[in-house]
Amino acid sequence: MDGRVTISGLEKVYGQGAERTKAIEDLNFEVDGGEFVSVVGPSGCGKSTLLYLIAGFLDATEGTISVDGDPINGPGTDRGVVFQDYALFPWRTVYENVTYGLEEDGVPKDERQNIAQKYIDMVDLDGFEDKYPKELSGGMKQRVGIARTLAYEPKILLMDEPFGALDQPLRESLQDQLLDIWSDLGKTALFITHDVEEAVYLSERVLIMTRHPGTKKTVAEIDLDRSGSREEIVTSDDFAHFKNDVWKSLHEETQTEVTL
Amino acid sequence: MDVTADASRGLDLSRLVEFGKSVYSLVILLVLWEVVGQLGLIHYYFLPPLSDILIRFAELTLSGEMLFNAYLTLQRALIGLAIASVLGVIVGVLSARNDIVDWFFDPIIKIGYPVPIISLIPVFMLWFGIGDISKIIMVAVGTFWPVAVNARESTRQVETNLIWSAQMMGTSDRRLLWRVVMPAALPGILTGFQIAMPLSLIITFVFEMVAGGGGLGALEIQGVRSFESAQVYAAIIAIMLIGIGLDRILRFVRGRLLHWT
Repeated sequence: MDGRVTISGLEKVYGQGAERTKAIEDLNFEVDGGEFVSVVGPSGCGKSTLLYLIAGFLDATEGTISVDGDPINGPGTDRGVVFQDYALFPWRTVYENVTYGLEEDGVPKDERQNIAQKYIDMVDLDGFEDKYPKELSGGMKQRVGIARTLAYEPKILLMDEPFGALDQPLRESLQDQLLDIWSDLGKTALFITHDVEEAVYLSERVLIMTRHPGTKKTVAEIDLDRSGSREEIVTSDDFAHFKNDVWKSLHEETQTEVTL
Repeated sequence: MDVTADASRGLDLSRLVEFGKSVYSLVILLVLWEVVGQLGLIHYYFLPPLSDILIRFAELTLSGEMLFNAYLTLQRALIGLAIASVLGVIVGVLSARNDIVDWFFDPIIKIGYPVPIISLIPVFMLWFGIGDISKIIMVAVGTFWPVAVNARESTRQVETNLIWSAQMMGTSDRRLLWRVVMPAALPGILTGFQIAMPLSLIITFVFEMVAGGGGLGALEIQGVRSFESAQVYAAIIAIMLIGIGLDRILRFVRGRLLHWT
């Protein structure tokens, strides 16, 4: 399947001289096409940096990131980012935010309308097309953020703690919505979070990063039976077991942080 | 039918009362002014009664003199402001987006912004004379700074995430300026215009007082020189009305352009 991300020998250094800090060191990792992978790690481990490197917003100091074998060179429409603070264009309505990528791609107006409507319906924002971002709640803004990224059809979804600013019930409903969308559309998903439960619930694999400078500590395979309801899944023994594994591994890293 | 007519009249009356309440302190001051003038408590030369000033204002307006001078002042101020707005936005936005442009303009802006621009009027008279061109250039130079500084600051403050969003959706670096940077910086750019507008009137007014050549400033100083106090105050009322009118227009335009904020 398309949308394979290969990261090899990745290193990212910020600043120069005395202010030089290494955010990411010698990271090797691969996300398969169509796979859902979460990244967890102590704060300051460079997980957001990793996401922005893959997005092409930042340049790597060393190493390469490839999509389906081709090294990336800056941002591209094969990858779409969902930001924690939504980053919607406030001067554009919901509809205009969702069609932005299609306008840039030169898609004709009729077609834009069909595509936009499809994704606006998908995230349950039917009827809010003409609202401006300031008129929406946080959860609605993030659904616009997801719809606009899906609308131009990137192969890879990069999500930077997208539900981090939302309360628990809303977060859970958006998680389920995201899983539905992901399994319908078959996209590669890379999901940054600091919430272990969220990572285990959503992902097929969880990448756990070391603390500063960040690199791969371990990768947890989350081999869960996801056929049941949310309640059945999160109360299962398997879920508890995977959650413990990830938590312990992450805890070792945060412990180091405290003793230092 | 009658009932609704009464109701609407009642509403109008209560609105009028509300309006009266909101400006009553001003009304008291104006009445006091009239009384003080009529009783001769302050010499006519310093402060004529309000009614005399209004009569003079009406005379000057009916004779066309006021409108002609207002036209001269407005024309100089607005042409100068328009030039400054175009140049200020270009320089401000470019120096926020480009290090080389900023390296060139930053020291100039740092020196130019705080200069009390009025102090340069004699220099402008030396260089460009006392005609319209000289006044327009002066206004353009004086109002350039607030426009440029506000455009630069608001462009710098455009969130990186918005620019990244556009880039990931396929916006090229060339188009980024129009698609994202300018709309995102628009509130700050308009603030610059709102600061520059009264400044353009001040500069024009003072230049006209000093150098003549018609305009409301010249009309005012003429009144002083010919002991026509009522004309002095009539000219002040005219420039106030223009200032308030232009401010209202800019606020209206801002509300229209920024209905999304």
